[in-house]
Amino acid sequence: MTGPSFWGQAYEIGRKDMRVEGRSGEVLNITIPFGAVALLLIPLAIGIDRPLIASVGPGMFWVVTLLFGMLVTFRHSATETVANREMMVLLGMDPAAQFVGRVSASFLLLLVFEGVLAPLTIVLYNPDPVSGWPVLLVVLLLMAIGLALIGTLASGITSGLRSRNTLAPLLVAPLSLPLLVGASQTYEALSQESSILTPILLLVAVVLGLAVVGVLTARFLEEASR
Amino acid sequence: MNRHRILGLSALVVIAIGLYFGSQAPLDQLQGEYTRIMYVHVPSAWLAYLSFLVTLVASILWLTKRRLVFDRVAESSVSIGVFFTALALMTGMIWGYPVWGTFWDWGDARMMTTALMFFVYVGYLALRRSIPDPAMRATRSAVLGIVAFFLVPLSYLSVLIVRTLHQGITVARPDSPIDGEILLALLSNVGAFTVVYLTFMSLKTAIARGEEELEEQSAAVDATPAGAAITAPNLEKVRDV
Repeated sequence: MTGPSFWGQAYEIGRKDMRVEGRSGEVLNITIPFGAVALLLIPLAIGIDRPLIASVGPGMFWVVTLLFGMLVTFRHSATETVANREMMVLLGMDPAAQFVGRVSASFLLLLVFEGVLAPLTIVLYNPDPVSGWPVLLVVLLLMAIGLALIGTLASGITSGLRSRNTLAPLLVAPLSLPLLVGASQTYEALSQESSILTPILLLVAVVLGLAVVGVLTARFLEEASR
Repeated sequence: MNRHRILGLSALVVIAIGLYFGSQAPLDQLQGEYTRIMYVHVPSAWLAYLSFLVTLVASILWLTKRRLVFDRVAESSVSIGVFFTALALMTGMIWGYPVWGTFWDWGDARMMTTALMFFVYVGYLALRRSIPDPAMRATRSAVLGIVAFFLVPLSYLSVLIVRTLHQGITVARPDSPIDGEILLALLSNVGAFTVVYLTFMSLKTAIARGEEELEEQSAAVDATPAGAAITAPNLEKVRDV
């Protein structure tokens, strides 16, 4: 009798993560409202200057997505214990499939996070409309995948460590720089009606690179977490 | 004479040569004496990139070969790379104040990406400090050493990707407009800094090896031997009875 395939295992892990989220409601009830509060506080901190608020709005959205999105990707590292990980090994789960499953769940939750905060940013900041907004949807997707990949990798690197809660954000925030640069440069290019090729290629290259590194190093991280 | 001394003396000689060429090179018409900061700034930045490249290679080798020497090389190279990155950032800011009118310019993508690269590798060193087990430490930091390298090409190419204040790629360009004497001063200092890097690497890996031996010795002393709870029978007392 053979077990589920690679994609079957990844699907089960992703489904398990989504089920845990469904029960705890951490992202929906805590992280998204927290991000919304941040979006509300920023204009108060920079002063009521409507043109300024409109111009910084898209940038603030990317920063809030990055900083609060990392909380979305770290949520499973807190619930996973050594016993959980050992059970996965005993079940013969492929570490790469576990990685893909976790990234998929984080990606879906990040999409929900972005889906709620993007309209809120438009309402609160009233940014200048840009042509080619479907491109921004692609950027939202790429940002969510990239952040899910970096967050899952950082969770694996810091899992089980006492300093995990402080160390993981220190690693994720600077590592997300290519995503932030790609996303903000795409918006800038769209608003100036110049070429978006370079920032989009940057985002795609980073996502592909992280996916390859994540899948190839999953086994090593799994070994080092026991 | 041991390897460290030979490297140390070689470093002093090549630094003297670099200083000579740096002091003899012509000055920029607008920047004046501030041009000479470039002979520290540019080699520091190049050496930071080299250090992190060495870490990438050593990290891959640790994951595939599992020899602790590669972990030592990766860690040592990050420590030195962080130092060179800090030096590049500081010299850049010192140069920026008189030339750009500010220590830190938000319009400079190279500065920003380099600063974030610095923080990722500071995180690498923090990660190592928080894991006591050598094999676990080596594996997790190797993965981070690979992922963190994403920022190195981004920092180098940021002047092409983002509209920025920083000077574009100059030396590596086929139609480089750089003056021959300035190029000579720059390359001699890059060479000098490379020898300094090798000296630091030699010392740092030796220290890391010494630390590992010390850790092993203290672990052996601290470890309770098997059966320590059982004491040997006092046969003399038995005979007396």
